[in-house]
Amino acid sequence: MTQIWLTAALGLLPPMFIALWAAGHGTLAHRLVAVELASSFAVLLLIALSFAFDQASSIDLALTLALLTLPGTLLLAVFAERWL
Amino acid sequence: MSAITGIVLGLGVLAAWLGALAFVRLATALERLHAVTFVNVAAGAAIVLAALLTDGVSSRSLKCLLLLVVTLPVGALLTHVTGRALHTRSGEWR
Repeated sequence: MTQIWLTAALGLLPPMFIALWAAGHGTLAHRLVAVELASSFAVLLLIALSFAFDQASSIDLALTLALLTLPGTLLLAVFAERWL
Repeated sequence: MSAITGIVLGLGVLAAWLGALAFVRLATALERLHAVTFVNVAAGAAIVLAALLTDGVSSRSLKCLLLLVVTLPVGALLTHVTGRALHTRSGEWR
């Protein structure tokens, strides 16, 4: 079963790299959306890796990242709206 | 059960690829927000379903379910805030 999850984690890497590449190129608006997409992929990747390596406790990393994404992206959006 | 898990997981990865390709294909930032929402909902739901099929009811799979329950409203909120910020920046809404 872990092989399937490892394959899925490897399959999630190219979309993650596309989002990371987009986060470094283009206008501020495009970069902001790309960061949002990259954080979504990162959460999915951490879930897949938790099952791939059979480490039940590492699912907390995905949960923590999902909870920290809210204030992080919110701050970026407010900065983009008002000051940048 | 393993085959069903593999199919659901494959659908999740496919949704992630589709979201990434849509992200590249769409032109404006506001359009690209749709790709982010698609990844959050489709890929997130499929991968969490695969997690439930793999583990059954366990603390890990319940945390995955909690993750989905958190991600859906938070993703909607972030998409709204980002869209509003981009719209305001473009000068059409001041």
